Amino acid sequence: MMKKGLALVLAVVMTLALVACGGNNSTNNAGNGSNAGNTGDTGSDAGETTTIKVAALESAYEEAYPGMWQEVCDAFTAQTGIQVELTLERNLEDVIGASMQGGDYPDVIHLATGREAGLTEQFIKDKNIADITDVLSMTVPGEDVTVADKLAGGFTDTALTNPYGDGKTYLAPMFYSPCGLFYNAGLFEEKGWDVPTTWDEMWELGDKAAAEGISLFTYPTTGYFDAFLYALMYTVGGPEFFNEATTYAEGVWDTPEAQQCFDIINKLASYTNPITPAQANDQDFTMNQQLVLDNKALFMPNGTWIVGEMAEAPRAEGFQWGMTALPAATEGGDRYSYTWFEQAWIPAGAQNIDAAKQFLAFLYSDTACEIFAKGGAIQPVLGVADMLEGDNVMFYSIYDNGAKAAMGNFAAYTAVPGLGTVREVFLDPVNSLVEGTLTEEEWIANVKAASDQMRANLVG
Amino acid sequence: MRTNRRRSGFIALCVAPATILFFIFMILPTINVFRMSLFQRGAYSPTETFVGMGNFTALMKDTNFIRSMQNTILLVVVVTIITFALALIFANILTREKLVGQNFFRVVFYIPNILSVVVISGIFSAIYKPENGMLNSIIGLFRDMTNPILWKGESLVMVSLIIAMVWQAIGYYMVMYMASMAAVPNSLYESSALDGAGRWTQFFQITLPLIWTNIRTTLTFFIISTINMAFLFVKAMTSGGPNGASEVALSYMYGQKDAGLYGYSMAIGVVIFLFSFLLSALVNKVTKREPLEF
Repeated sequence: MMKKGLALVLAVVMTLALVACGGNNSTNNAGNGSNAGNTGDTGSDAGETTTIKVAALESAYEEAYPGMWQEVCDAFTAQTGIQVELTLERNLEDVIGASMQGGDYPDVIHLATGREAGLTEQFIKDKNIADITDVLSMTVPGEDVTVADKLAGGFTDTALTNPYGDGKTYLAPMFYSPCGLFYNAGLFEEKGWDVPTTWDEMWELGDKAAAEGISLFTYPTTGYFDAFLYALMYTVGGPEFFNEATTYAEGVWDTPEAQQCFDIINKLASYTNPITPAQANDQDFTMNQQLVLDNKALFMPNGTWIVGEMAEAPRAEGFQWGMTALPAATEGGDRYSYTWFEQAWIPAGAQNIDAAKQFLAFLYSDTACEIFAKGGAIQPVLGVADMLEGDNVMFYSIYDNGAKAAMGNFAAYTAVPGLGTVREVFLDPVNSLVEGTLTEEEWIANVKAASDQMRANLVG
Repeated sequence: MRTNRRRSGFIALCVAPATILFFIFMILPTINVFRMSLFQRGAYSPTETFVGMGNFTALMKDTNFIRSMQNTILLVVVVTIITFALALIFANILTREKLVGQNFFRVVFYIPNILSVVVISGIFSAIYKPENGMLNSIIGLFRDMTNPILWKGESLVMVSLIIAMVWQAIGYYMVMYMASMAAVPNSLYESSALDGAGRWTQFFQITLPLIWTNIRTTLTFFIISTINMAFLFVKAMTSGGPNGASEVALSYMYGQKDAGLYGYSMAIGVVIFLFSFLLSALVNKVTKREPLEF
């Protein structure tokens, strides 16, 4: 009897414990945000009870300067009085994804497009992002200029910030980085080679390098071809062709410009270090980057973060990072470097949208920009050049040295079963081109078929 | 009578927590998978549209899905056969033969099972490295390696996955077979030896029939675990590449979720669920024998 009673008590305790575990223990003292001012010049009266939840990706910048995001959040609280609850994770999608499926959204999310989990893309496709056009005319907290005054030109005119082409801004441009072809400047000096300025010179160099046992090209993963393809489309056909191609205009892939793009990538595939595809996955991509450090390949498409990413890697003697814009399509033609930038945005279901907008505005303040710059994260604001250090001075000067800035991306389309993502349709086949299991014609045919479906399902 | 009632009440109370949890975390989600497979929706979309069997008809036309399903079936068949054969042979050798360092081998074979899949993938990625990877270095002793073999390239990537998966699984099944082999009475072997039965005859006439129930159980394990493990290996070793060549059903399902096709990926989940269920049932039916007593 005694035993039974004890067991009964234990069973009850266990059940209770489970029930207690299931309870909602997240203490959410966030206000409803209605009191947060919209002007952003003061917050002492507004923010006392407001707490916003900020979720940011912990990327290489945070690694370079640990505590970067926390410092920005603290500065924001000091300026406006609005408390910030920061979630900083490498696998941000996994951490915030589940609670968002349950309807609990952070107020600000800093997570760029182009990630494997495609969380930002899904929000764009679902039209689940708050309109932040008015942030542009907001005064930056602690300063007397508006956000629009501070932002560098062009950043809020792209499909990345205005995904629906209706003139409204939904995503705030963050940390920008010029992308281009990275190479070992030391090797070029040693061999007396010139960095090619046209694709014809590129192929010549490829033959010269092949004679010495060096491949012309490699790529970390096919994902890195996005910036490459965008810049290539600009060099070949200018902004007009780029806009047509990225909105899947009818017949755009039959134009001579498109054919030239396909031809260049196909030819480049034949000049690519043959072991590249076997390592072009998310686990081994640094080994492909290592090929450039080891002088086994001359060029790879990449962004400025590569310097930090490979900082610890062994390298050939006399190695020195160099970066160049894409070669021109013809002698004297325009050269482009794609401007890659990240995005911060407010989910439509966020609790404190007004306070979140203030936070977005604050991200462009001098204080925030300086903190970000310590980690090598460069905000797209005017006059940022003074904050650059080290290799970044050379990288960010690419636009001063004749290269034009290429911006934008493929327009969002509603996901259709079997259609595949932009990366699967346009970029992944490069692996097969290099391995020789796919011909250029097959690739083009697939792109055309997919492009028709994408056009039919455009969002907006 | 009264004690009996109290007794069953008590039992019900004890079983309740587990049952409730099982219902909430297993039964409900499974039902939900079936429900969501009939809708078109993103993982985070606030709305959903009913499309009936639309997702399933789209699946039948999706060449990428068909390829991922083919890869899954290839893995289930090949990994099962190789692992099954090797595990049986090793188990038999380790139980029936007198070997020096028997325990050592037992531990060595079992170690891969303790390692996490991520570690195993790391090990095999190093082995498969095109330049100065272990495998290519060894092969390089015998042939010219100016064009290194791309183990993770499009044509060989499935073979590479199979090797890694077999290596990982052998130890586990070997230990299972050894346990049941040890239960086979030695007298059977002795008397059969007197009748002139060799080792092979003993293996096929005595060992195999007597551990048959165990083998049947493991076959079901093989099917379920290969489908699950394939996902882990693909995620950790190849991320489905190059160009989707190593995509398996579960990794494809996962990728479709990220592409914003939550309902569609649930439809894939339903197909995999039914596939593994039916395959297990089929294997169970085919291998049914009158259990032998000893």
